[in-house]
Amino acid sequence: MSHSKKMGFNKKRQTLWGWILISPLCLGLTLWVAFPMGLSFFTSMTKWDMLGKAEFIGLKNYLIIFTQDELFLKSIRNTLYFTFLSLPLQLFIALAGALLLHSQVKGQRAFRTIFYLPSLIPIVVSSVMWLWLFNHQYGLINYFLNLLGFDRVQWIDSKHMVIPSLTIMNIWNVGNIIIIFLAGLQGIPNDLLEAVDIDGGRYWHKLRYVILPLLSPIILYNMIVNMIKCLQLFVEPYIMTNGGPVNSSLSFVLHIYNNAFKYGKMGTANAMAWVLFLLTMLISLVIFKTSSQWTYYEGDK
Amino acid sequence: MKRKVFICICIIALIGTGLCLANGQKEESADQVTLEYIYWGSPAEDAAVKQALAEFEAANPTIKVEPMYLPGDLDGSTYNAKMKALAVSNSLPDVGYFRPEEFGNYAENGYFLKLDELMARDGMDDSYLPQTWLKINNATYGAYTAAECQVMWYNRDVLKEAGVPTPPTDYKNAWSWDDFVTYLKMITIDSKGLHPDDAGFNPKDIARYGVSYDLWSTMYYPSVWSNGGDIIDTDGKTVHVDTPETIEAFQNLADLMNVHHVMPRMTGGTNVSPLTMLANGQLGFYVTGQWTLLDLGAMKELNYGVAALPILKESAQIYVSGVNVVFNATEHPEEAWTLQKWMMDPSKTLDLYTSGLWMPTKMSYYTDPEDLAKWLDNDVHPEGFKEAVVDSMAVSKNEPIMIKNINQIWGDYLNAAVESIWIGEKTAKQALTEAAEKIRKSGLLQGSY
Amino acid sequence: MRSRNKIATICIYTALLGGAISCLIPMYWLIRSSFMLTEEMFRLPLILFPKKIRFQNYVEVFTMVPFAKFYANTLFVVTLNILGALISNLMIAYGLTRIEFKGRNLMFSLSIGTLMLPAYVQLIPLFLEWNWFGKINTFLPLIVPAFFGNAFFIFMLCQFLRSIPRAFDEAAFMDGANYPLILAKIIFPLAKPAIAVVAIFQFMFTWNDFMGPLLFLNDMDKYTLAIGIRTFISTFYTPWGVLMAAATLTILPLIVLFFSAQKYFISGLTLGGIKG
Repeated sequence: MSHSKKMGFNKKRQTLWGWILISPLCLGLTLWVAFPMGLSFFTSMTKWDMLGKAEFIGLKNYLIIFTQDELFLKSIRNTLYFTFLSLPLQLFIALAGALLLHSQVKGQRAFRTIFYLPSLIPIVVSSVMWLWLFNHQYGLINYFLNLLGFDRVQWIDSKHMVIPSLTIMNIWNVGNIIIIFLAGLQGIPNDLLEAVDIDGGRYWHKLRYVILPLLSPIILYNMIVNMIKCLQLFVEPYIMTNGGPVNSSLSFVLHIYNNAFKYGKMGTANAMAWVLFLLTMLISLVIFKTSSQWTYYEGDK
Repeated sequence: MKRKVFICICIIALIGTGLCLANGQKEESADQVTLEYIYWGSPAEDAAVKQALAEFEAANPTIKVEPMYLPGDLDGSTYNAKMKALAVSNSLPDVGYFRPEEFGNYAENGYFLKLDELMARDGMDDSYLPQTWLKINNATYGAYTAAECQVMWYNRDVLKEAGVPTPPTDYKNAWSWDDFVTYLKMITIDSKGLHPDDAGFNPKDIARYGVSYDLWSTMYYPSVWSNGGDIIDTDGKTVHVDTPETIEAFQNLADLMNVHHVMPRMTGGTNVSPLTMLANGQLGFYVTGQWTLLDLGAMKELNYGVAALPILKESAQIYVSGVNVVFNATEHPEEAWTLQKWMMDPSKTLDLYTSGLWMPTKMSYYTDPEDLAKWLDNDVHPEGFKEAVVDSMAVSKNEPIMIKNINQIWGDYLNAAVESIWIGEKTAKQALTEAAEKIRKSGLLQGSY
Repeated sequence: MRSRNKIATICIYTALLGGAISCLIPMYWLIRSSFMLTEEMFRLPLILFPKKIRFQNYVEVFTMVPFAKFYANTLFVVTLNILGALISNLMIAYGLTRIEFKGRNLMFSLSIGTLMLPAYVQLIPLFLEWNWFGKINTFLPLIVPAFFGNAFFIFMLCQFLRSIPRAFDEAAFMDGANYPLILAKIIFPLAKPAIAVVAIFQFMFTWNDFMGPLLFLNDMDKYTLAIGIRTFISTFYTPWGVLMAAATLTILPLIVLFFSAQKYFISGLTLGGIKG
């Protein structure tokens, strides 16, 4: 359906308007991104504690973190474990939740608000609350397990259970993702759904042939954005476990933070941040490239 | 209609922005001086400090003090992050608190005012505990805010119910470790009322614990020293973590949790506070920092007492505190020093001492009976506090903040090693021997300041 | 057909109730605790309903710290942030998706790229930059960046806008409209659910953001709620009861806002048949 003379405007006008409309982005990139990134990259090639002078050492930091810092590699492993565990679960539950909330049931408003409540609680408070929930001795979860006759479980006190515990916390927090899915579901035209009904299809068909394809750009968005959020896990281990026990919940960003602010190794911290950046880009590229197989954009014709 | 609301919001916002920008300027008249005082703490401490600052302003009409308050946290990372930002941008405050573990680093880099001449001029040297002054390369750059240490609180009602005799308060004649463990077992019961040595005792279902130790780096030192061990030598080069005495000390603590089942496993700094457990009768003893007295004292329904720390081989105690400094970048060193002196004088900030938060650094408050009574004689400080805590400072050793990289040594190696002992994954011997080797190879042992 | 619908309905309700309960329990615990003494909060067996309701906690929230000021500051910062976010992000997303021009894909990729930067490392350089402008300890560093777009929202709006058929734009051009007009009259109404999401999320980000205020604000008088709440968490003993009261007060407006903003989601927008 493409016209040879697009939209009736000539190229010059398009270019002009295009750049005008995205001018805030360009300025923003320069002011708030380019400078910090540049400084960060430069710092990653130095040895600097922010008090004395910075000592330029080239790419040595990068070498050191891969060969000498075993906590660095551990933090990558922990973070990847967390990401690959949480991301699919979060997306699946969020999508299911959104579909449920989209159906015509009574009290839709109330249900949606309730599902969104967890995301409203300041993370500092919810971390503390989950500390209590997970408490081996007095926590609510173990209390109920006990009532039901099960043994108490070591949640965040255990090397093996700490990442799954953080995953549970994250799943409880899917309100954000549900909202975005809901907004997407809102945009699906009813006449397409009716067409499936007329053809004698059932809900499963609606899902497969209408809802999911039209929702696919949003699914892609949630996948990428939440993958990035998972890779940048910081506040929960920072407040709740401090990377423990025995560094089993030391996330990538927490290790960066410790190096930057606790040990005064800004150069190392920045080098690690760049490694994280490259890792994130790599995974995103893979997802983006494979996405053209399954995403469908109505407005791209 | 919506558009109008939109525009209204825009206008309000713009006006507000203007006001805020105007607020950002500091006004100083010719003879009026403004000082910025940085500090941290709980809301109670915040109130007390603000009070002291207000009284200072009243006594010194030409000086105005702007408080810069930061929320307190266990490892000081909030403070450290803020301080780094301020240092890098040359917008440091004039005077105030400083984190002890960063002190050496910043001092060496010239961030603090040298205090020796001012001290000599104002006769400060003798009136304060010698440990108060912090020196780098023989020059004084800071003073400890208070004389804090480790203490052992207990719940009187719990002990009475368990049939445990009143613990000794004389630090030289405290319980031996073995006696201590015996008493702890008398206090510890599971939900069926069985003690740890009874048949059928369920360690997974304990209703009341004997003791809880605060498990973080500073709190380990007294136990380790009491057994004759150490972590890193004060020269900053020799590792003592794997000596048999140190190993035994850590193993003792771990056994309390895993073998005798008299101590709960607490992780995370903001978990259900042992103080709460103590108040609820779920705990007998609590070994923690002296400053918790501030909050303990506020618990009117709790019948608490203080006991002398159990002795492994010899009595030991730690001297720990935040640091007070004057920043070199200040434009008003004389006024800043005046404020510093004020905040160090117990008579000006008596609330912070009577409430139990701090112990004084001024000598007369230990040697002069009148001054001593001023801060000890109240409901907050329990009977026996002097013998158990105040007197124990005679054997106290400073927290080793002058060892270079000590923070990272704990963060990268020791914390994990020690945690693996607590969870029973490794014995103290395995964990500490491994850690000691790694530390020696790490290149972090660079001496001391 | 009827019976199948019934079973499906029951399943749906059960699932919804299950989810709702798991979300409500912690909320209930939060509110219950805000009316109790700290010691009572952690007692076992669990106290479901406090015998003595302690309103004192709520009073102490306002006496311990300048909580009212925190509220005012936060409202101020949040309103401006939402304004900035709504204006800039929609503009940018529209430009990136509806107009063909050279360099468009590059800018889009750059924008997404910024999502991948760990924020904490950017903070110190940002701090240096604002210090150079001389605006530390003002609200500017917390407000101005919102007017320059946020990759999180740009990306989201782009995905939404790409689902809107071009037919609408083309029809408008036939009628002689130009880009800004199309943006205002056609795209804006159609993208309302997404825009509502942007507003709500920006509200939440700003309401709960504490790292920014920590670094950029020095005076406690200027503190926002997020960092204000942090001040309750002290080194060893936190007045949990008061903290929970403060948290409840912090969450309330968010709940109210969210509940009332629902209509943007519920008003079933149909894309068929709207002409510009």
